[in-house]
Amino acid sequence: MEISVDRANEVLIAKVEGRIDGANAREFEDALNGAIAEDDSKVLLDFGALSYISSAGLRVILLIARLLQKRNAAFALCSLSDPIREVFEISGFDKIISIHDTQAEAVDKIGQ
Amino acid sequence: MSRRLSLCLSTKLDQLERIYDAVDELGESEEWPPGMVYQVKLVLEELGVNIVTHGHANDPDQEFEIVLDSDSDALTIELRDEGQAFNPLTDSPEPDIESGLDDRPVGGLGIYLVRTMMDELSYRREDNKNILTIVKRKDNG
Repeated sequence: MEISVDRANEVLIAKVEGRIDGANAREFEDALNGAIAEDDSKVLLDFGALSYISSAGLRVILLIARLLQKRNAAFALCSLSDPIREVFEISGFDKIISIHDTQAEAVDKIGQ
Repeated sequence: MSRRLSLCLSTKLDQLERIYDAVDELGESEEWPPGMVYQVKLVLEELGVNIVTHGHANDPDQEFEIVLDSDSDALTIELRDEGQAFNPLTDSPEPDIESGLDDRPVGGLGIYLVRTMMDELSYRREDNKNILTIVKRKDNG
């Protein structure tokens, strides 16, 4: 799992690559917490290069989403593959986290 | 088309790689429908992590077994472990998938994903072992 960080239109874009599972979810959590600065008010996770996520990763997403909500920061995900989207849908996470098809659409939406 | 694959794993999280590799290989050679490789990996990871962290309380010196039986209609999975008794059909609460962000409990989703993605699950406790049998039919995405 690797995270690369970029900023566009005041949106922090963290692109996650590889796999998030029970063996590395803690590492994912630490990496995200390290990447998000305290004054970031718009955060986007790009899952375009993510091949796999399980409940261990969902737990981290939920914690980050809560943290950002407390700070009144916007949070969204984009570019989920079909199997990853299915995991979010079964878990009902698509109802509490905004999910966009493409990075451009997501930046446009939360960058306003 | 029919193939059986057995894995004997130690109770360590680094064994997940072996599970993923085995599922990739079996799914490819048995021509599973799209999406099934991901679902089977997820199911085995969720259950495997449970066995390691809860069933054996992270004791790295134990072992558990996974047998995968793929034929033209379905994949049958059997997991055997000697950890604490755990029946995923009755011992795991229904997760809350409706409430808002603030009220969502953290965790509890793994077993729910397993039950939702697979077609049949049956559990028995025999000779101090948890034996879980799972069926995933190929025509069911």
